[in-house]
Amino acid sequence: MAIRQPESRALPQVLGGRAPVDRAGFRRRVHVLRAIVDLHPARRWALVCDDAGWFGAGLLALAGRGRSIVLPQAPQAGSLAGTGIEAVLTDRPGSFRDFETLAVAEPSDDFQPEPPLPDDETRVEFYTSGSSGAPKCVPKAYLQLRLEVEALERQWGAALGDAAVVGTVPHHHLYGLLFRVLWPLSAGRPFAADMCLQPGELRSATAARRCAVVSSPAFLSRLTDHAGLPPAAQVAGLFSSGAPLPDPTAQALGEGWGRAAVEVYGSTETGGVAWRAWDGPQDRPWWTPIRGVAAELREDDAGPRLWARSACTYAQDWMPTGDLARFGGDGRFMLLGRADDVLKFEDKRVSLGEMRTHLLQHPAVAEARLLLLPGRRQHIGAVVVLQPEQRGAERGETRETLRAWMAERYEALLIPRKWRFPDALPDNAMGKTEQARLLALFEDAP
Amino acid sequence: MNALIEELKQLIIDSLDLEDVTAADIDAKAPLFGNGGLGLDSIDALELGVAIQKKYHVKLDANSADTRQHFHSVENLAKFITSQQTG
Repeated sequence: MAIRQPESRALPQVLGGRAPVDRAGFRRRVHVLRAIVDLHPARRWALVCDDAGWFGAGLLALAGRGRSIVLPQAPQAGSLAGTGIEAVLTDRPGSFRDFETLAVAEPSDDFQPEPPLPDDETRVEFYTSGSSGAPKCVPKAYLQLRLEVEALERQWGAALGDAAVVGTVPHHHLYGLLFRVLWPLSAGRPFAADMCLQPGELRSATAARRCAVVSSPAFLSRLTDHAGLPPAAQVAGLFSSGAPLPDPTAQALGEGWGRAAVEVYGSTETGGVAWRAWDGPQDRPWWTPIRGVAAELREDDAGPRLWARSACTYAQDWMPTGDLARFGGDGRFMLLGRADDVLKFEDKRVSLGEMRTHLLQHPAVAEARLLLLPGRRQHIGAVVVLQPEQRGAERGETRETLRAWMAERYEALLIPRKWRFPDALPDNAMGKTEQARLLALFEDAP
Repeated sequence: MNALIEELKQLIIDSLDLEDVTAADIDAKAPLFGNGGLGLDSIDALELGVAIQKKYHVKLDANSADTRQHFHSVENLAKFITSQQTG
């Protein structure tokens, strides 16, 4: 008869990072972080860790101690401003000089702590782009996150089995946090500490063991002919969220590579709402609500807006999405477009208005407009009218100064790539004309 | 090696559609990503990886730490490609 290994001992929990961590080691991390948190009076904590393993341990440590957890929009010091935090728990202690910073620390003793029991009432705040000029706070109770990963396990757990979880999306947004960290922790699957930036890293991870891959259109759509992906047989599940996969990519994965990507539709507010996977072009537009999620339409000024009630909206009941939709007769729905002016840029929700507000706060800037530039790859372009006394400055230096200013607050992906510095904005008497004139500024080299 | 470095600089400029940047502006030892360098983002890394594999027929089958090392600078990329081609 086989002897079962004690559950908490040698089972791997976090892969990669500086060293792999087994389940007992992970619990020790949570235990030590709790001790750090207990010694500090702060009630509101920002959690910023590059390593997903430390991030998960930090979350469980804070959630067991009645503290509020703030997950900033981007892991940059500038995005902590205005969130009212009193301390930062981080694996990057040098980056947050303006704040009380506590660094994660590897436990030295080989003790066996009890499994962590996070408090369901813990408040976890996500920050995301709203349609107004400021990041929007989306508060959750830990209970909602817990129910959400239980719903994911019910829907897909059997298919994943004991696969390890690797991802190409960051873990500080809801999708990555749930799929890359909390779901594997809850289901007892190992997960990777590092985010994969290259398809080769996925191949390297799946060569060692079967994996579930948590990805997004920004990554998957760039793998021409899915050639860079690991063999489909080594992948227990491929998830994509953040934006719809382009049809050719979905088809290439489903028919060419051999396993359809499971696309998950949802938002920070609602959590996962529905899913679809390539099954021929006629079925393509239709999304099926995730088990346990209710979805319906409510008419407002923008049109038939989709509302959802899910584990993630538990206790808040029905919540509006940002999308317009229409239902088929079978409970599935089709998306008809955005209901607000928040746009999706490389799977990220972006408010150009919010970024413009930040740009205008720089003393050298008199006026500014941000816009999406078409091209092989979309970029954000900035049209900036400088204060008169700044106009003599060398353009490259000015651009670098403003880029650095934006980088204090936003991740690299969102920093405007192209800059134009006219003496005045094109006449803005007519909205559409202005947009076309702004675009025209980018047609020629600067 | 130097020829490869110059070629890589041009590949970066062309494949990432960089504006206001010439090969001479790129310091082969400076970080490509993050502060203090070109400030490239994760999608640039992905596109650059795809372009390099296509052009040089090298396989980037490393773990994350190794890949980050290879992509740290133009010089590291050149070293990596050279080692793959001769190895």
